[in-house]
Amino acid sequence: MAKRKRTKIGRGETRAAWICMLPSLLGLSLVTYIPLLAVFVLGFFKWNGLSDPEFVGFANFVRLFTKDPYMFDSIKATVYFALVAVIGSIIFSMIVAILLNRKVPARGFFRAVFYLPYVLPAMAVYLGWSWLYDYNHGFLNYLITEAGGSRVMFLENPAIVVPSLALITVWLSGNLIVVFLAGLQNVPRIYHEAAEIDGANAWQRFWKITMPCMTPIIFYNMLMSLISSLQVFVPSFTLTSGGPGNSTTFLSYLIYRYAFTASGRLGYASAIAAVFFVIIGIFTMILFATSKFWVFYMGGDE
Amino acid sequence: MKKLLAMLLCIAMVLTLGSALAEDGKVHITYSYWGTPEEAAATQAVIDTYNASQDGVVVELETIPNEQYTATLQSRAIAGTLPDCGIMNENGVLDFAANGLLADVSGMYEGKDSQPLEAVTFKEGGTTPVAYSGCAETLILYYNKDMFDAAGIAYPPSKVEDAWSWDEFIDVAKQLTIDVNGKHPTEEGFDPDNITQYGCVVDNWTWQLEVWAHSNGGRWFSEDGTECVINSPETIESIQKVADLTLVEHVQPLYLGLADEGIIRSVASGTVAMATGGAWNMGTCMSTSGINFGIGVLPYMKEKVTLTTAGPQVVFSQSKHLKEAMDFIAWYTQEENSWNLIETGVWMPLLQKYYEEGEAMDTWLKDEDFPVKDYDMAKSVLVDYTNAAATPTCWYYTPHTSEFIDMLRSVLSPVWTGEQTAEQAINDNFDALAETITDF
Repeated sequence: MAKRKRTKIGRGETRAAWICMLPSLLGLSLVTYIPLLAVFVLGFFKWNGLSDPEFVGFANFVRLFTKDPYMFDSIKATVYFALVAVIGSIIFSMIVAILLNRKVPARGFFRAVFYLPYVLPAMAVYLGWSWLYDYNHGFLNYLITEAGGSRVMFLENPAIVVPSLALITVWLSGNLIVVFLAGLQNVPRIYHEAAEIDGANAWQRFWKITMPCMTPIIFYNMLMSLISSLQVFVPSFTLTSGGPGNSTTFLSYLIYRYAFTASGRLGYASAIAAVFFVIIGIFTMILFATSKFWVFYMGGDE
Repeated sequence: MKKLLAMLLCIAMVLTLGSALAEDGKVHITYSYWGTPEEAAATQAVIDTYNASQDGVVVELETIPNEQYTATLQSRAIAGTLPDCGIMNENGVLDFAANGLLADVSGMYEGKDSQPLEAVTFKEGGTTPVAYSGCAETLILYYNKDMFDAAGIAYPPSKVEDAWSWDEFIDVAKQLTIDVNGKHPTEEGFDPDNITQYGCVVDNWTWQLEVWAHSNGGRWFSEDGTECVINSPETIESIQKVADLTLVEHVQPLYLGLADEGIIRSVASGTVAMATGGAWNMGTCMSTSGINFGIGVLPYMKEKVTLTTAGPQVVFSQSKHLKEAMDFIAWYTQEENSWNLIETGVWMPLLQKYYEEGEAMDTWLKDEDFPVKDYDMAKSVLVDYTNAAATPTCWYYTPHTSEFIDMLRSVLSPVWTGEQTAEQAINDNFDALAETITDF
């Protein structure tokens, strides 16, 4: 097998394949894998981007876990945000997708409405929400005081700010809705028809047919939204500057601040990025490990 | 594969040939810049004028997107391929200077009819000038004339000698703060949770707080920018006084200084009577807000002070054409080249001659597009106040200030909400704050 003689055509095809793959391979290695590797290497250097890098061993990592004023707050905030945002957006977009999959009036219009936030410029979205959330003159607090409640510090209270930001992410989950809708339309009708004949009601059909058929899609959506939520950056950049306190100093934002707000602690920021990479890896692995208990693939019994 | 390589090589050759052909006996220098395509087009037009005005030097514009600007300069500094000159972020200048990347610009305006304002000169170690700002900006007080008229109160002073003391300022703010029942904070039954009009906003967007440290006789950093002194009693008190406007006096809405929008949320949106802000706000939001506004000098605690800041124009020391680059920057920063920004109130002029009575000052303040129509008011607040009270922001002499300011912002959050006093917050975090301006 190993010494199978290749035909001329076979060789030609292999070459064609390599040539076709070359641009994407080059692109991937130049802008993804080599920088990724560089980040891990740079984590062991003291480098401000201007002077020559100086090898410092594990010093960056030691400082990170012993002295850094942000690191633990930052990990906590990031994980907290990701959990709330992922669970919130999966539930919200699943419900919306199920509703939009029914024969509701003006369905096309509502599909557009729920997808629209996703295509709006992020800056505009967050600016708009900052006015809704404003403590002194904001619309939500206006409604609350009109209803007789006392004002809520949506963005100023460290205990509330993360759920407030996660809510914006939930509102922005139009892409998940689209994927769910596609999944729902792929649930085979014959299962539903068979169950209907057997006398199953709508609720039973949902739990016994729709949900199991949807689990691969839910898994995919969870994975994608988990990774993107862990990398959350824009809300702290536009709305909170990482505050109040350190409650929204998410890891991506922390890396950005150390690396690029002119202080240029690039080596140190790389060390954080390396740790961050491991954290994302752990959460992704956990999700994958649990998947075999709840994800069902149709026709997977062979 | 070989063919591909050969093709790439050919392309590379053509490209190098192209630049070799550009050798026309003139000195070529590059000027780096960020901005939208429209702004780049305007900048290019100014540069074209320069290139046409003399035949020794050709300036080429290089546009780098804003969000990648600092990172790009950093990587090019390593590679030794920095542009000859360009703009920078205020808070990156001293970091670049500390690495020897900026040229000493003390001779840049030699022989010119006017020098840049002293207060917008970046100085390494507090002495060597390494850059000048491309314009000037100060902090001033904005107010809503209609709210003052409705309350029958005299407008805030525009002359520095008449500046309100902190207590006078609070008194006026109280008279202009109204709750849902029409009551003021001085009256029985005032409801601080249902305020419909606030008296003031002293912007706590973090870097602007430094003005109150100076005003109260304190500082954030020593004059040579090597030591952090934000834990001095005067400085701590200055922060507490700003926080107390909300917590104790109930004349200021609650802000945590998390975003740069104090003026937009206050005077410009018609919800607050007075607010501190940068002079640029005249052009960026007040002139289009529809508010009948006036400008005045800041109140003061002990000293009458305003902060100055503005984006720097630098010459990189790696340049082989330092003299040409400096000549270009000195020409480029002439007010005439950015007049549309100056006449609309977004920029204040750079050169001292605009801050002396005479023709230059009048062309500026009497321009028909200038947003403040009251000449005496504009002269008092923008000229006399600048001459009498301008102090440079810490990034004119201290490195790593952006990291310091980011940390200070998070440290002060509980101070604005009243969970901690300024003294607790600063003292608990002083070591970490002081460490930000060092190398670790």
